[in-house]
Amino acid sequence: MFLMNDENKKRSYKAQKVIDRLGKKLNRQMVGSLAACVHCGMCTDSCHYVLANPGDPTYAPAYKADKIRKIFKRHYDWTGSVLPSWVGAKSVFTDEELEELKDTAFGKCTNCRRCTINCPMGVDFATFNRMTRGLLVHVGIMPEGVEYVSKEQWEIGNQMGVLKEQYLETLEWQEEELQGEVNNPKAKIPIDKMNANIVYTINPREIKHDPRSILDAAKIFYAAKENWTMPSEGWDMTNFGLFSGDDDLGGAVAGRVYEKVEELKGKKLVMSECGHGYRSTRCEGPNWAKKDIKFEAESSVITMLNYIKEGKIHVDKSKNDSSYTFHDSCNNARSCGLTEEPRELLNYVVGDFREMYPNRAENFCCTGGGGAMSMSEYRPRRLQSAIVKAKQLEATGTKYVVTSCHNCVDGLNDVIKHYNLDMKVTQLVNLVSNALVI
Amino acid sequence: MSDKVQIKNKTLSVKQCDITDTEIDAFVFYARNDLKLGSGFGNAIALRGGPTVRKELENLGPVNVTDAVITTAGGMKAKKIIHAVGPKFQEQDTVKKLKLTILNALKVAESNGVEKIAFPPMGSGFYGVPLDESAKITTETIAEYLKNGSEIKEVVICANDNRELKPLQEQLKKLSN
Repeated sequence: MFLMNDENKKRSYKAQKVIDRLGKKLNRQMVGSLAACVHCGMCTDSCHYVLANPGDPTYAPAYKADKIRKIFKRHYDWTGSVLPSWVGAKSVFTDEELEELKDTAFGKCTNCRRCTINCPMGVDFATFNRMTRGLLVHVGIMPEGVEYVSKEQWEIGNQMGVLKEQYLETLEWQEEELQGEVNNPKAKIPIDKMNANIVYTINPREIKHDPRSILDAAKIFYAAKENWTMPSEGWDMTNFGLFSGDDDLGGAVAGRVYEKVEELKGKKLVMSECGHGYRSTRCEGPNWAKKDIKFEAESSVITMLNYIKEGKIHVDKSKNDSSYTFHDSCNNARSCGLTEEPRELLNYVVGDFREMYPNRAENFCCTGGGGAMSMSEYRPRRLQSAIVKAKQLEATGTKYVVTSCHNCVDGLNDVIKHYNLDMKVTQLVNLVSNALVI
Repeated sequence: MSDKVQIKNKTLSVKQCDITDTEIDAFVFYARNDLKLGSGFGNAIALRGGPTVRKELENLGPVNVTDAVITTAGGMKAKKIIHAVGPKFQEQDTVKKLKLTILNALKVAESNGVEKIAFPPMGSGFYGVPLDESAKITTETIAEYLKNGSEIKEVVICANDNRELKPLQEQLKKLSN
């Protein structure tokens, strides 16, 4: 019996909303990914959740993908509409089923895209997992942490609820530190300077937990005699819309950054080291915000590298005299191709650099990606899956793991602590600043 | 684009501003049913207002959707906060509930002697009311209330950014025609 009559089954209000909205989110890329899976299993070994939980098939990317795929087939694919059981099509009816979908979409995947690049059929599971998150968020079904952070960014303008006065006070404090470090009372962290070559945007984590990275960047700009500024608003280059699947949030946040650069007539937008921020603001943001950006936008990794190559700053690698490996952020490496520049820069500022394996686009997630750091209910799962990362890190035998992502800094710190590794995490901006010869 | 309309000697305006950092008699906070401040503007209220607001709210919640309650604003620039519990995440009868929430907020403001009040674009952003819809309902409901006679002299709708500001300006333009 191929026909399955579920038409008369009562459906919850939210379930109907999710089905309706799914139809609005389908584009060619999404339909291709939803339709093309042949269940070959190539994605399975690419997922760190699977590798850490070999006996649990519910972590397999194809299995997770089928949870949304069956709804697509039931409602938007003709074979599934006519012969649902023939193609595994199944609708969703209750809020409990939506909760189960939430557990998969948010709690069993970091949207790292490693399965995506290893799929011979080109199925971009991470992209439609993100879409699934967005469908759930739209009806208010999301982890508490996602709710908390999304609201911060919607209403305060940054992910960590940093108020304008706190932001400006921190910059003022770092400016004083800068003056002390370079022994020049006129050294500045300019704010809202018009016509600057560079408008420098950051991750709010730098204000809250790591102001040293702002100071280090300021020191590098100072040494390069750069005409730069930081914006008083629109300074958060991160974007929780990438994690929550909320394209409206993505567009609002990216739009605020772009509009501020335009208002200041900045020539180039430079983003501090943050993988998802770089992907969101540099790559996805113009689509979300429906806006063409008429200025250059680059990662600070490239800015720092160019300063060295062009002789604008001078570095002494002997100042960083430990051993270092590099962790590629998923968003930088897999989604934006930023793999060689950080290594080139690292080799300028450290003497002992050792690759981690696998690396570049095949590197494993820090396990804190996709907003996982904000979802405390899934922390045990995340740390269990982190055994894969821990083994990778340990095998390098280095004292430091360097990364170009603030989210990865937190993710890696968690892994290191949980698995008692004798390592520290640092970023390129810290190493470049430390190696500066002023 | 219009930023201001006169309605029976009252003013309805829109501008880009931080609603939690504005000198005004009262501002509307789009609240949760349990009246917990939460994140976003709630976080700004907690940080800028101090513990007073949270303490006052402890005795007022939980309340129903469309209800509005008033508290002081602690150490903020505003004097009062109207905590208005609007509809969230595409819930049923959103439009009807949103209008009623705005009306209840205005009534609570008026009965507490508020003459100048600020609103956000109600329900837009995190809670998912489409921006155009929010702008239309917010401006039309407030305009209607002012038209029917009110002691409130000035209402300002605070937009977070240009994206929010533009549809509000368009709605004001329609009202002024």
